[in-house]
Amino acid sequence: MIELKNITKKFGKQTAVKNLNLKVEKGNITMFIGPSGCGKTTTLKMINRLIEPTSGDILVQGKSVVDMEAVKLRRSIGYVIQEVGLFPHFSVFDNIAVVPRLLEWEESRIEERVEELLHLVTLDSSYAQKYPLQLSGGEQQRVGLARALAADPEVLLMDEPFGAIDPINRLKLHDSFLEIQEEIKKTIIFVTHDINEAVKLGDKIAIMSEGNLVQYDDVEEILQNPKNEFVENLLGRDRSLKALTLEKTKNFVTQDDYLIISPNDDQQSLRQKIKKSQFEQAFILDENGRLIGRKILEVKKGNEELIHDHNPVVVDRNNNLIEALSTMLESGEHQLPVVNSKGKFTGVINLSSIFAEVSEAETKKEVKGA
Amino acid sequence: MDKIISYFLQNQERVFAAIGEHCYLFAVSTLFAIVIGISIGIFVTGEGREKIGRVVLTVTGAAQAVPSMAVVALVFIFVGIGFAPAAIALVIYSLVPIIFNTTSGLLSISPKLVEAAKGVGLTNLQVLWKIKLPIAVPVIMAGIRSAATINIGTATVAAVIGGGGLGDLIFIGLKLQRTEIILIGTFLAAFIAVLVDTLIAQAEKAITPNGLKISR
Repeated sequence: MIELKNITKKFGKQTAVKNLNLKVEKGNITMFIGPSGCGKTTTLKMINRLIEPTSGDILVQGKSVVDMEAVKLRRSIGYVIQEVGLFPHFSVFDNIAVVPRLLEWEESRIEERVEELLHLVTLDSSYAQKYPLQLSGGEQQRVGLARALAADPEVLLMDEPFGAIDPINRLKLHDSFLEIQEEIKKTIIFVTHDINEAVKLGDKIAIMSEGNLVQYDDVEEILQNPKNEFVENLLGRDRSLKALTLEKTKNFVTQDDYLIISPNDDQQSLRQKIKKSQFEQAFILDENGRLIGRKILEVKKGNEELIHDHNPVVVDRNNNLIEALSTMLESGEHQLPVVNSKGKFTGVINLSSIFAEVSEAETKKEVKGA
Repeated sequence: MDKIISYFLQNQERVFAAIGEHCYLFAVSTLFAIVIGISIGIFVTGEGREKIGRVVLTVTGAAQAVPSMAVVALVFIFVGIGFAPAAIALVIYSLVPIIFNTTSGLLSISPKLVEAAKGVGLTNLQVLWKIKLPIAVPVIMAGIRSAATINIGTATVAAVIGGGGLGDLIFIGLKLQRTEIILIGTFLAAFIAVLVDTLIAQAEKAITPNGLKISR
């Protein structure tokens, strides 16, 4: 999809990028990461020719970018930067419509497209007439993404797009960004300096240092098998924990380790049922399989008490293991029900299976390191 | 007061001619200053010329302190006397705030924004017309506004080198020691200045893009 061949960029005497070779696969999110000044942004900007390489060649969809007219090339590649990239004097509509207008689309087609894109980035149509200054940072970033996608480019370049956004909103944006990517399946190159962001969003990670490509691999491979000390330091001490962000809760759901009851069971038989099982709790499902509550058997001063919980804490099956783990730690439970997006009960997840995953990753690391 | 009114009634033609001359001198010189000033501002802030832009900013910033009389006198020495020299003096004098504001307005636009504009595929000319100039409009207009108001005042001084207009009335009044004539000239010049200032302020509001008027 995108191929960098022996790319070198010199600024005066300084070499920003040294003889870089890299192939980016179609439909993937490739994260460029490294300390500032490592050449990641320079490399990104050479792809849409905001910076011209000193030597080497870049192929996008098999065609050398140097042979293309720079302006035409840029209109065929989506480009997202930090929030300041929106034009303050243009409404949201006009911002998104910039590239279609440059490509001289008909106005009716542009209107349709803007509507469609606002929907994609989960903003309602009333946003079209607002101005960037009226939006929050997160909203601006969504508009920025919509603008980049306007002419439906195959390739998207993103330069620290979430860098200026507070951590809580950044997490939300990550989730919706991944959902959007599931739908659009673009080839995305994403520059970041945040390793957590790289691990969470990336299919592949390219780690750069002082203009060199240090390691370029699948995220799992990098976490399990960092090439050298530099990569290890970049990943941090908690890389086993980071590996958990790659695992989805749905793959750790157990089907045989819990008790299900119907809302019609009477108190006495319930008590017996729970007592007979080795469990302390039972989940109540309605006729559609949706979780509507749970019963907990507690022993207080020798008396057994059956407590009803209307609103049990749940984990979404699409959450990653880190999110499941933190939900468990917050609620103090070692077993949580797992539901799908419609609230349907799909099983439970146990703290022990998360621990098992961490120690397995640790063993793998040791084996490979030895 | 009576003297003022009676002079005005008896010399209506002369007064209106002076107003006409004054406005003509002002309009011609301001128009030239706007075109030349904005062009220079755009040129010195072009890509790769940001350093020149900053130098221009310093120079024009300091030049605003030069008294108008000095400029008029210099033009008189080098160009002579008459309408044209007066107009040239006014153009030179009012260029300064226009260049200053255009340059500072364009320089203050974030390079990241310009990069975003290029990154989505705007040509350099489109970046200038669609992004940079509209965003700099409020600052550029403020420059034009102060240039225009100063220009009306300076135009009275330009009468010394044959610019004509309301300045003539004032100097005649001085020569004849008739306060009412001086007052008429002064009052009319001030009135035109206020009028022009208000008009440009309205124009500024009208052409500032809506997105820039919003305060959070």
